Amino acid sequence: MSCHDHGSVDIESEETIALVGCPNVGKSVVFNALAERYVDVSNYPGTTVDVTEAAFEGAKLTDTPGVYGVSSFDEEERITRDIVLDADIVINVVDATRLDRDLFLTLQLLDMGIPTVVALNMMDEADADGTDIDVEALEAVLGVPVVPTVAVDGTGIDRLRERLPEAAAPDSTPIEQWFEDLPDDVDATRAEKTLLVEEDEPTAARVTDGEIVADGGALTFVEAGQREDVYTHRRRRVEDAVADAVARQDRESSWADRLSDYMLNPLTGTPIALAALAAIYYLIGDLVAQRLVDFMEVTVFGTYYNPAVESFVRSLLPNASWVEPIEFVLLNDNLGLLTITVQYLVGVLLPLVVAFYLVISVMEDAGVLPRLAVLTDRGLNRIGLNGRAIVPMIVGVGCVTMAVITTRMVGSRRERLISTALLGLAIPCSAQLGIIMGLLAGLGVIWWFGYVGVLLVVFGVAGLFLDRTLPGDSTALVTELPRMRIPRPGNILRKTYNRTKMFLREAVPLFAVTALVISVLDYVGGLGLLERGLMPVTALVGLPQEFGRVLILGLIRRDFAAAGMTDLALGPAEMFIGLVVITLFVPCILAMTMILKERDAKSALAMWLGSWVAAFGVGGLLAVIL
Amino acid sequence: MSDMLADTTPGETVVVEHVPDDGVRARLLRLGFLDGAVECRHRLRKGPIVLRRNGTELALGADLAREIEVTPGESER
Repeated sequence: MSCHDHGSVDIESEETIALVGCPNVGKSVVFNALAERYVDVSNYPGTTVDVTEAAFEGAKLTDTPGVYGVSSFDEEERITRDIVLDADIVINVVDATRLDRDLFLTLQLLDMGIPTVVALNMMDEADADGTDIDVEALEAVLGVPVVPTVAVDGTGIDRLRERLPEAAAPDSTPIEQWFEDLPDDVDATRAEKTLLVEEDEPTAARVTDGEIVADGGALTFVEAGQREDVYTHRRRRVEDAVADAVARQDRESSWADRLSDYMLNPLTGTPIALAALAAIYYLIGDLVAQRLVDFMEVTVFGTYYNPAVESFVRSLLPNASWVEPIEFVLLNDNLGLLTITVQYLVGVLLPLVVAFYLVISVMEDAGVLPRLAVLTDRGLNRIGLNGRAIVPMIVGVGCVTMAVITTRMVGSRRERLISTALLGLAIPCSAQLGIIMGLLAGLGVIWWFGYVGVLLVVFGVAGLFLDRTLPGDSTALVTELPRMRIPRPGNILRKTYNRTKMFLREAVPLFAVTALVISVLDYVGGLGLLERGLMPVTALVGLPQEFGRVLILGLIRRDFAAAGMTDLALGPAEMFIGLVVITLFVPCILAMTMILKERDAKSALAMWLGSWVAAFGVGGLLAVIL
Repeated sequence: MSDMLADTTPGETVVVEHVPDDGVRARLLRLGFLDGAVECRHRLRKGPIVLRRNGTELALGADLAREIEVTPGESER
């Protein structure tokens, strides 16, 4: 092993083993059972998809995103395709209860000539379903090793390890009949040829080495529609293989099937979904975002950590005038690098991140998320989103920063933009919401309904506006509904740990730099200038100049702005307008940093400026009405 | 004479005949949903439709279901 700090594995000298399979077949469980040391989670270069790597018997073991086939329909597929094309051996994990679905990918890998071992996973569930699989017959028809496993309890993993050297692909493939249609001079491997006859454009671009094609259209070597011929041919072979190897007996439906039915029926599904939302809100929004974070901020940091660090640093620094700016940057009460910045990261962000990843992992493993997407698809269609966008919206009421990350799962770039913009604009985070609820309760319940009403209208109007103005069409919901399962605690904890680690590794440096810049700006008097510059807009919404101070707090953290409102002496209407304005106002610094990282600088700036327009537009309108 | 998938009722068995979108058609084909009869499991009012074949369940948005043509199918196997 080389001793580089990063780029953990030296690709040239090592064999690569890739784990490939459909979503929810237990790839990650097999991966963790095989991994020997050093598991590294990172974004695949140029994307936001996580790829996990580990060492295994001197080789590099790579876990890939779950896909139903190797092609380029989405980002996950493109990544898996690239990893498969570079892999020396593939362990294809298949769900024994879904052979009819999973063998398409298996046969595709074999057609590509990739040396493969099949891990026939979830044999326990197949038994429970009354599905009897003849492993030897399957091995004979596929022509590669097939190892039955129950990865969650380690059954079959040793055997899988033993048979790995037998990884093979049949010498020839029936789809070779289409290879003849390719130009004679095409310089491509069997794997690439397979993708070429399936009209995979990135592969075509790769083998032509970026040559410009005369008609300027799609880079293909084959007639349009050939992909379907190849796919149909492969499906026939899947059906034959299943017919040879599987004997199925009908069983009465399991609890999981019945629960799934209840969830998808709006009459029973809506109450279940609402109860789940309430539970999530209680955990993230109340237990963690309020109580735990309060405890961390007030007790752990306010009483112990910050005073201790302050006195320690002051004792180290010499007593000279040039020290003053350094001391300010390190220790100031707004965003000191060693005090408040650490407090935000460890006291606020870390508990939220862990809680959030726990909840998401449980919902993922239980199979709840796609069912929620089905229930909410119709409503979200109207604002240019599909059902999958429900996840960021739920998470957003807990913490917008976290929610921005989950927009990765909502589909096209257009949908990610819409959902991120709506999150930044109209979804108050729980920290802010707590204070706002308190202030509105003092005014009377009618103001609370008014507040929620205004936000919903802004949410809907902004969604409609973005749907109409952004180019392109949104993607339709096409999602498999995996079997519902009771999540395994070990799996949940491991996922949460890996994701938290990766999140912190990216967020900490970003946030530290931001804090540094703000502190310097504060020191040279930039923030004071800002407050004076804000006078015209505070006047626009009919609020006193002190509201400018609240807005500046809001630039940094939303709940600071809400807390700042408690210090102002305002009438009910003014208070209401102020609260609406600070809710619609710009996302907090953490959320902005995350938007910048997940989207691009132009979109982030547009969202930031758009928040100003929306906040003061709506605020000004309310000032006229009320 | 073919019907639209969006008009299928839960419990009905249909054969998917025509899917206009190339990408969606290829994805359905891969999963085996074009191989023969599929069962309609759920249909939400003006919302997605859930199909099932050999234990695999797939949800399709309403807009998509409105452009997919189906014919009545015998439940096979």
